[in-house]
Amino acid sequence: MTHDVIRHLLDDYVTGELTEDARAPVAEHIDGCELCSAEVESLKEILARASELPRSIDPPATAWSNIRHAIEHDAEVLRRVPAAKTWWRPFTAAAAVLLVAAVSSSATYLYVTRDPGYHVLAPKIAIRPAAETPASLAAFTVEENNYLRTASILQELLDSQQGELAPETIAQLKASLRTIDEAILEARNALARDPANKILIEMLSASYRQKVDLLRRTTEMTRGS
Amino acid sequence: MTRPALVSDKADVPAEGVEGNGLDSVRRAQAGDVDAFQLVYNEHAGRAYALCLRLVGGDTNDATELLQDVFIRAWRKLDTFRGDSAFSSWLHRLAVNTLLENARTEKRRTARVLPMDDTSRLPGAARASGIELKMDMEKAIASLPKGARLAFVLHDVEGYQHQEIAAQLSVSVGTVKAQLHRARRLLRERLER
Repeated sequence: MTHDVIRHLLDDYVTGELTEDARAPVAEHIDGCELCSAEVESLKEILARASELPRSIDPPATAWSNIRHAIEHDAEVLRRVPAAKTWWRPFTAAAAVLLVAAVSSSATYLYVTRDPGYHVLAPKIAIRPAAETPASLAAFTVEENNYLRTASILQELLDSQQGELAPETIAQLKASLRTIDEAILEARNALARDPANKILIEMLSASYRQKVDLLRRTTEMTRGS
Repeated sequence: MTRPALVSDKADVPAEGVEGNGLDSVRRAQAGDVDAFQLVYNEHAGRAYALCLRLVGGDTNDATELLQDVFIRAWRKLDTFRGDSAFSSWLHRLAVNTLLENARTEKRRTARVLPMDDTSRLPGAARASGIELKMDMEKAIASLPKGARLAFVLHDVEGYQHQEIAAQLSVSVGTVKAQLHRARRLLRERLER
């Protein structure tokens, strides 16, 4: 083997990942090659220093309380998703399609008309009264974290229940979620450029509510099916 | 030279001691016992945080956020842990997956929000541009490009095999080896300054 070939094998040589057959000629070359010998020593030094790094580092004391808080929030969200009444069951698939289609249309409307006229759009997003939307970006940031966490829990719950939904419903649901996510992204980007714009905060809040609402209601139906 | 203790060498066998009593806490946590989950956290948080800190490149805020995400996800997914591998291995896989998913989300968001010429605000840019002339090992690892850093931390610090890392990062074994080679070369250069 040539010097150039062997140089590419030095990493594996040092970490003991060469086969016995390959190891012998490499070792022989290293003995007579100052450059490769120095590189091997240097590699060993790097690995030795990596092995001396502390295996455990204490995290900040607040980490566990944050985790516990999130876990308790999870439990609260799940408590709010009751099993649907039995009369839903025969109609679950059809109801899911209708629900997804309805929310999708609303989200699509939000998305396609988003750009020039936020002020025109805002009054039409009447999922909840405007008074419930946070008035400032700081207050919204707190609410946004709750939305994200709630959406994440419901999404995971729904993922685990996908087998109970018809494939076309799942496809429609995914398309609707994509549309809402696009609307969220657009509103977030606009808000990054104009953080004081209350209409944008309201629009973003409405998109999050829409997403959580879609996930929650679909989850309720699958739980009852 | 002695290789670092290989977590993955015994990935399918519960590690002695560490997993013994802890497995009971895991089982109780799987049944919904939050206090038992706190015991699981107390047992694994130190190693998980060390991993998170190195994976994110040394930023303590990012590492704490990642650690919290990992344990929240662990709680939600506890029922998928069947005990086939050590709980620490399961948790570490979750940490890497969470990091990669968060990075994908952040990349999409950053790409849409930041102007293209404002690279100084991109994650890691400040750290990478301020390499000191003489740095310690942790700082040198933190200064590595992300791909090289992940490969080095998972292989040379945590002891995972090339194949495991390749599968988790969704790249080829050859790519992992190339990233490792690059990481070691860069570390040598930076530590010898």
